[in-house]
Amino acid sequence: MTRPHSSQRIFTALIALVLSLAPPGAMADGVFEPVRDPVVRQICGECHLPFSANLLPRRFWQHLMQTTSDHFGEILDLKSDDAARIASYLTRLAGDADSGKSGRKFVGRIPAGDNPLRITGTPGFLRKHRLPDRVWRDPNVVTRSNCAACHQGAEQGLFDGD
Amino acid sequence: MNQDKTAPGLRRRWAIHFLRLWHAGIAGGFLVAYLTGDEDTYRMHQFSGYLVLAMLALRLAAGIGAAQGHPLALPRPSRAGLLQGLRQTQGRHPLLAWIAAALLATLGAVTLTGAAADYVHFFEKLHEAVAEASPWVIGLHVVFVAYIYEFRHGLGHWWNAFRRLGRPLLTLLLASTLLPSPAPAAEPAAAARALRLSELAAEAAAASPEFTGFSAERGAVLFGKAWALGDPRTAGCTACHGMDPREPGRNTKTGRSIPPMAVSAKPDRYTDPDSLNKHFTRDCLSVLGRPCTARERGDFITFMSKP
Repeated sequence: MTRPHSSQRIFTALIALVLSLAPPGAMADGVFEPVRDPVVRQICGECHLPFSANLLPRRFWQHLMQTTSDHFGEILDLKSDDAARIASYLTRLAGDADSGKSGRKFVGRIPAGDNPLRITGTPGFLRKHRLPDRVWRDPNVVTRSNCAACHQGAEQGLFDGD
Repeated sequence: MNQDKTAPGLRRRWAIHFLRLWHAGIAGGFLVAYLTGDEDTYRMHQFSGYLVLAMLALRLAAGIGAAQGHPLALPRPSRAGLLQGLRQTQGRHPLLAWIAAALLATLGAVTLTGAAADYVHFFEKLHEAVAEASPWVIGLHVVFVAYIYEFRHGLGHWWNAFRRLGRPLLTLLLASTLLPSPAPAAEPAAAARALRLSELAAEAAAASPEFTGFSAERGAVLFGKAWALGDPRTAGCTACHGMDPREPGRNTKTGRSIPPMAVSAKPDRYTDPDSLNKHFTRDCLSVLGRPCTARERGDFITFMSKP
């Protein structure tokens, strides 16, 4: 064999095409920025999965941080500098801030003017979670916001696949 | 374009160096991708998978430009060549071409289905199935190459290879075991905890003249009893922390896992004053309907610190 065979050329071209379409780190849908701020991660993550700021719009996070005395029935006794840090982090990376494709698409499904109260009530969540009741009743699930019960990569912001 | 013009341009020595580096790249990429196949290390898995794919493409591209007999050439597997080659002892063993083709097909299938699974869900199962087969093909390649070297070069080659690779590795391994391991943080944590307890004891004595000291028994009751005085979902501490403080618990409202409460299972417990204050206020409100007193706090920590 002294000349490149045409099938080999085609194969190489195909590989090159795939590589150019999908450089390493190219991310699929369902991948959200995990909470990287250690203070936010520690304080929010103490009681629940530290939800990615990408999952909700700025107006939600602002509302949430103004109502810490009734946080889904809990009193959040936050120190004022911690509260300020959490609020600035969440609004900076909110889905409708400049925070990436996944968040933009997820939050973009919320009708304008609608102020969602929970991630689990948003259209982006609901359309991906049409599951039979027995799944939600599983004792390991506890509640719909317990993402990590099913999504093993939830802590890293990975929700595609499972 | 004539291949013979380009072949001398790539000197053999450099071609061999390239092949060594290339082997390191593809083997390392595959190893990492194979070991990080689960969800938690998805990015690493994805990156190393694409690295293997890129290496395959690179090898094919390099092979296409090489003349027959050049180190980078990709001999085509053929039956005639096989029969003829088995009788000769010079040059490449003809079975190598067949095994290389099998490797290329398997690794190509693994990486391409993996890349496709990023876009089409369907390919995920196929990707996993082919991936499970690939170590066998790689193993065959390694065993066969080892057999050829053994056959053609004798044992001396292996000894040299060991001297070149094995001894530094062994030294590295020994050195790593001799490195000082991180000192356990138990001592400063115990000191901080003792300080917290003495602060609480002073507070408890100031609150009641009858205070004589903390009691692990009272702490056990505080932890284990179903008080039902606060939030109905958390009648007692055990609603979230479970009956055995040495085991992890689970937040009964959010499902979030909670590290064990016992100091024996989590040595840095009860050391940070801010965190203690927060939990003995918020969580006691949730269980008892009021914040815990200094005596209760001390009893609780004393119970949890029992070995």
